[in-house]
Amino acid sequence: MGYKQRKGKHDDGDDDSYKKDEKPKMTSGQQLLPSMIKNKEKRSAVHAKLKEQKKLEKRKKVKARDDLERRALELGEELPPRPVPRTIENTREADETICKPDDEELFAANDADEFSSVLKQEHIPKILITTCRFNSTRGPEFISDLLSVIPNAHYYKRGTYDLKKIVEYAKKKDFTSLIVVHTNRREPDALLVIGLPDGPTAHFKLTKLVLRKDIKNHGNPTSHKPELVLNNFTTQLGHRIGRLIQSLFPQDPNFRGRRVVTFHNQRDFIFFRHHRYIFENKEDKQADTKNTKNKDDKAEGVAKDRVIARLQECGPRFTLKLKTLQHGTFDTKGGEYEWVHKPEMDTSRRRFFL
Amino acid sequence: MPRTSVVECPGCPPIRALTFDDLGLIKVIEARHKENGVAKVVERWGDPDSSKCVLAASIDDREFDPLLAVARKCGSVELISPVNGDLRFSLSNGSRVDGGSEEDPVSGLHLFKKKTLQSSSRSCTLLSCSKKGHVVLRSVELPSGDATVSGTPLTWTVCGSGEVLCSKVHESEDYALFGGKRIEVNVWDLEKRTRIWTAKSPPKNSLGIFDPTCFTSATFLNKDDHRKLVMGTKSHQVRLYDISAQRRPVISFDFLEAPITAVTEDLNGRTVYVGNGSGDLASYDIRTGKLLGRFSGKCSGSIKSVARHPELPVIASCGLDRYLRFWDTESRQLLSAVFLKQHLTSVVLDSQFKDEVVGSDAPVIPDASVELDETLDEDKEDTPPPVKRKKKSKEGSGSKKKKTKKVTE
Repeated sequence: MGYKQRKGKHDDGDDDSYKKDEKPKMTSGQQLLPSMIKNKEKRSAVHAKLKEQKKLEKRKKVKARDDLERRALELGEELPPRPVPRTIENTREADETICKPDDEELFAANDADEFSSVLKQEHIPKILITTCRFNSTRGPEFISDLLSVIPNAHYYKRGTYDLKKIVEYAKKKDFTSLIVVHTNRREPDALLVIGLPDGPTAHFKLTKLVLRKDIKNHGNPTSHKPELVLNNFTTQLGHRIGRLIQSLFPQDPNFRGRRVVTFHNQRDFIFFRHHRYIFENKEDKQADTKNTKNKDDKAEGVAKDRVIARLQECGPRFTLKLKTLQHGTFDTKGGEYEWVHKPEMDTSRRRFFL
Repeated sequence: MPRTSVVECPGCPPIRALTFDDLGLIKVIEARHKENGVAKVVERWGDPDSSKCVLAASIDDREFDPLLAVARKCGSVELISPVNGDLRFSLSNGSRVDGGSEEDPVSGLHLFKKKTLQSSSRSCTLLSCSKKGHVVLRSVELPSGDATVSGTPLTWTVCGSGEVLCSKVHESEDYALFGGKRIEVNVWDLEKRTRIWTAKSPPKNSLGIFDPTCFTSATFLNKDDHRKLVMGTKSHQVRLYDISAQRRPVISFDFLEAPITAVTEDLNGRTVYVGNGSGDLASYDIRTGKLLGRFSGKCSGSIKSVARHPELPVIASCGLDRYLRFWDTESRQLLSAVFLKQHLTSVVLDSQFKDEVVGSDAPVIPDASVELDETLDEDKEDTPPPVKRKKKSKEGSGSKKKKTKKVTE
C-alpha cells in the first residue's frame, strides 16, 4: 500500500516536475530557491539548472568586458575601469571605533598611555622572555628565534616562580615588557605580552609557527636593530595593540641592517614575518624586448635603471590572534579586562575588532 | 550582496548622562526624542591630561542650582555645574594631607543633597574617602562670587590597614558604608561619626581555605532602609548583608568568574544590577539570589560604573571598552550605545533633563507628567518587539509553508 502510494506520488511528481519548474518561476519570480524544494531529485535538478544559467551569464559578462577592453586597446582609448572585487575586508561592518587621523583626543590619549615613555625614547625597551612551567623541543627553539628578532631581549628560565612574582622582579630590574611563551604538548600555542610597569596584558593565540630552520633558503639576521612594519591596526583597540607591539622594539632602527619585522593585521589575525631586504639595480633584458613591442621609448628608459627590492625571509613565521586585553599587569583572578573576545561577537564574518 | 546585520537600537527616552574618563574629560551625552533617541555627545569639558583622571564623581541634580563633584587623581576635588561645565570651586590638596592626594587617592565621593539646617542655602556638604581610609566631611559655601570652605572639615579614619575600595552614602544621608581590600564592610553613622556595625568574614569553606576579603563595589539596597547592603567582591561573589539580622551575609551567590566591579540597586528595592570585570552585566533578584537576566550586547570591557535613572526604566553602564550604553531595565535590551574614545571611569545621570521642545515655558508639574507619559510610551514601545518578532517569524514560516505548498501542489 505504502509502496503504491509512494510510487503513485512519485509518478505524479515526475509528470508535474516539468510544469512545477516553470510554474513557481512565473508566479514568484526570483523568490523560488532550490532549498525550498523538499524532493532531493527535483531540488538538485533545479539547482543544476540555475547553476548552468549562472555560468552562462557569467561567461557572457566576461566576454563582453573583454571585448570592450580589446576595442579600447585598439582604438587607443583609456581602458574601462576594472570593477573592484568585493572582499570581506572592504565590505567590513561600519565601526565607529576606527581611529581618525585628525582626532586630537587620540593623540592626547597616546601621550598619556603606558607606552609613551618607551615610544618617545625616554626608556630603551628591555624585554624579558620566559616560558610556561614546562618547556621543551619547539619552545626553546622558538625562543632562541625570538631572541634574535627582538633586540635587547633576555631569556630567563621560568623555574617554579609565579608569574606575578616574575612581573615584580621584572619591574624591579627595569624591564619594559615581559613575554611569556606558552607551550602545550611541546608546541608553542599562546603568547602573553605584558607591558611593564603597569601596561596592559595581551593574550594572543599563536598558530602556524614555522621556525627559522624550517624555512627554505632562510637568511640569518644580523644584530642590527630592525625596522618595524605595522599594518592595518585601525580601530582604537588595534591601535593599542599596535603600540604594545611597537613598544617591544627599539624606536631607532639601523637602516643599514636592512632588516624588517612585519606585523600584518588581516581580519583580526596578526601575521608575523621577518625579512632581510636589498635594493638592486637591474637591467631586465627580457622586459626590454617585451616592452619595445608595445610601448614607446620611455618605458625602455624606465626599465633600464629599474630598482628591484628583493626579500629574503629569515626568522620565525607565525600568526597571532588576540584573545584578551587586560588592564594592568597579569592578574587572572582580580583583573579587569579592556577587551575580551566573546563568542557572541562572532555573529558576523564582516566584523573585525583590530 | 553581502549580508550586513544592522544593530537595531530602539533608542532611549530623553536622557542626559555625564561620563568621566581617564584623561579627566567630562562628556555630556544626550538623547532626544527628535533624533529617535539616539544618544550623542553634546559637550566636552576639560582638556585631556592624564593627571586629572577622574576617580569618583557625584551629582546633586536638584532643580535649582545643581552641582557636580569630581575627584581627580592629582588629589583635587572640583565642584562643577552640570549644566554648563563651569568650575564653581576647586579643593586642591596642597594644604591638607588627609582625604586624597597623589599617594592616597580618593576612592569615594558623595555630594549631599540634604540641606543642613545651620548652614546657609548656598552651601553644600561633601564627603570624600581616600584609599587609606581617611574620611573628610566638609561643607563649602557657594555664594555667587567666591567660594570658601566653611568651618573646619570633620575628619576621621575608617580603618587602620587595608585599602578602601568602595564607599556609599545612604539615600537618607545619615549612614555611610565602607569596604575594601582586607576591610570588612562597616557602616557608620555620619552625624555621630561612630561605627555602628561591622561584618564578619564568611567561614572557611569545606577545604579549610579562607578567602581574604576584598570588596570592590557596594550599594544600599533600599531607599528607606539603611540596614540592607549589597556588596560585590573580587572573588566574583555578590553578598547581601542585613544589619538587623546577622553579621554574616544573608545571601551570597556567584556571578560568573570575573571580579564584580559594579553593583547598583533598583528603585523597587529587590533588583540589583551587577557588572563584572569581563564586561558582563546582569540583573538579579536579591531576595532569592536568582538571575533575572543578562544584558547582552557586545560589552567587551570591564564595567566600571552602572547608574540607574530615578524615574525612567533605564540604566547606563560604562567601562573600559570605551562605550556608554543605555539599557532598558524591563526588557534588558540595548537602547543606545555611544563610543567615547577613552577608558571611562564613571557615569552619572542628570534626572532633571527634559526635552527642550516640551520644557521651556511649561510649569514643572505638567512637565513631570509629560515625562511620565513618555516613559509609559517607552514602556509600550519596548514591550511589543518580542511580540512583533514572533509575528514576523510566524509570517516567515507561513510564507515558507505556502511556497512549499505551491511547490508540492
